[in-house]
Amino acid sequence: MDANMSQSQSQSQSQSQSQSQAETSGPTAPDTASAKGVPGARSTSAAGVTITGLHKSFGDNEVLKGIDMSVAPGEVVCLIGASGSGKSTLLRCVNRLETPNAGTITVGEHEATHADVNLDAMRRQIGMVFQQFNLFPHLSVLENCTITPRRVLGQSKAEAETEALAQLDAVGLQHLSERRPDQLSGGQQQRVAIARALTMKPQLMLFDEPTSALDPETVGDVLASMRKLAQAGMTMLVVTHEMGFAREVADRVVFMDQGLVVEEGPATAVIGDPQQPRTRDFLRRVLNPLGE
Amino acid sequence: MAMTTRDRARLSLGIQAGIFLAVVIVLAILIDWTAIRSSFFAVESIGPMFPEIITVGLVNTVQYTVVGFVFGLLGGTLLALMRMSSFPIYRWLATAYIEFFRGIPAILVFIALGFGASLAFGWNLSTLQIAGSALAIVASAYIAETLRAGLQAVPKGQLEAARALGMPAWRAMVTIQIPQAFRIVLPPLTNEAILLTKDSSLIFVVGMAGGAAELTKMGRDGINIYQAGLTPLVVAGFCYLLLTVPLSLLARRMEHRTPRTGKK
Repeated sequence: MDANMSQSQSQSQSQSQSQSQAETSGPTAPDTASAKGVPGARSTSAAGVTITGLHKSFGDNEVLKGIDMSVAPGEVVCLIGASGSGKSTLLRCVNRLETPNAGTITVGEHEATHADVNLDAMRRQIGMVFQQFNLFPHLSVLENCTITPRRVLGQSKAEAETEALAQLDAVGLQHLSERRPDQLSGGQQQRVAIARALTMKPQLMLFDEPTSALDPETVGDVLASMRKLAQAGMTMLVVTHEMGFAREVADRVVFMDQGLVVEEGPATAVIGDPQQPRTRDFLRRVLNPLGE
Repeated sequence: MAMTTRDRARLSLGIQAGIFLAVVIVLAILIDWTAIRSSFFAVESIGPMFPEIITVGLVNTVQYTVVGFVFGLLGGTLLALMRMSSFPIYRWLATAYIEFFRGIPAILVFIALGFGASLAFGWNLSTLQIAGSALAIVASAYIAETLRAGLQAVPKGQLEAARALGMPAWRAMVTIQIPQAFRIVLPPLTNEAILLTKDSSLIFVVGMAGGAAELTKMGRDGINIYQAGLTPLVVAGFCYLLLTVPLSLLARRMEHRTPRTGKK
């Protein structure tokens, strides 16, 4: 009931939003919530995310207890926090791999939490990179990158391959396009996963701990590809434990604990000078695990 | 003095070789080799069995097995989908069918179709129809479980990645899940084909005209025709091996080639 109410509420909200968008008819999305202090849209094809009152439970276990946050178009937001704090679940709610119990999420012009949302159309505009890469093992690297544009967008083989090779080139792996995923290192697989997501020309990229399953020496290449993407103006929501990356690349850092947003702000503030005791405690343990 | 690991390994090997040699010598002395030769390997009666044992027996065995396997695969696919359905009645029906036909001897199904169908409905089924449908009925129960296990063995992340890219559920299933499940189930499906090849001999209980005879029937008939002891059965047995050994080699090769799926 609660969910229904807030859903219909935000439906009218998003309607008025799209109306105002039509009035201004600018290429940039409207300034949604707390976008102050953030560089405006750096790319016309970037979508923003707005999350209000998000609740999610698995059985009796309430994982998200009312999340309000937003990502402006072109903004890079890093989600940090202990495991079990709900970061990944929040990310998976955005492209509806998980269905929230209550609250609303809008991604660009799509209202992800609306009952009639076209999930497939919405997901085509949202790229996702998983901790375990999830490349398709029965397809070559190139086929991994062309299968969805061909089968879902109806691109020709040549068209899809040109785009896929360009994306693979951007992550430095064009020379491995004929290999099978299991012939690649973890870091290479993850960069293919990034290229695969980008072949769909998404307006938002979700990263779910993209470097957590990698050997340490391959982490750098993946982070470099992500930084390049951020510099190109992609909207990015990144769950990560890489504080160095968050500090350097993120426009904003959001610290979550036990299903709630505890602190958010520019990376220098949240990581460099945390205000909340829980943030300080978490960062002390992450940045200085031996407690020296 | 304490024995080293190497000494112990040598001793173990020596004892095993000794036992083997003793058994071989005892058998060689005790066994009546002429009797064995004349009742199991009567060379003079092997020749006359050809070419019919191949052109009729082997061909019929292959026919019954292929028909049974193809329809078993279709039925098994349907049952597997029913078992994974969100509609509970389908799940119950499929489970009941699978448990029933995996739990009873296949020979009962042959008898039921061979005699029951004409008794109850007045159907006059051909040998191919009886053997093919009996095998299909039994095989579909086993194949359904194999397929279900194969589909569920594809890691969840694969479907999530496909859906996250914007593939509709059916497209993700057809393009991502089924091809991977297919590789997983090929070895067990090949083993199922081997079992079916052997089970096709059960048509024997129903009886059949000469032209429809398969390997076991021809071997059994050969005992009477050639008066050469059990030699025709041995020949029929080797004909089965002609079919099953290549299949089992194929299954083993595919098991080695199965690509890793999912987690690193």
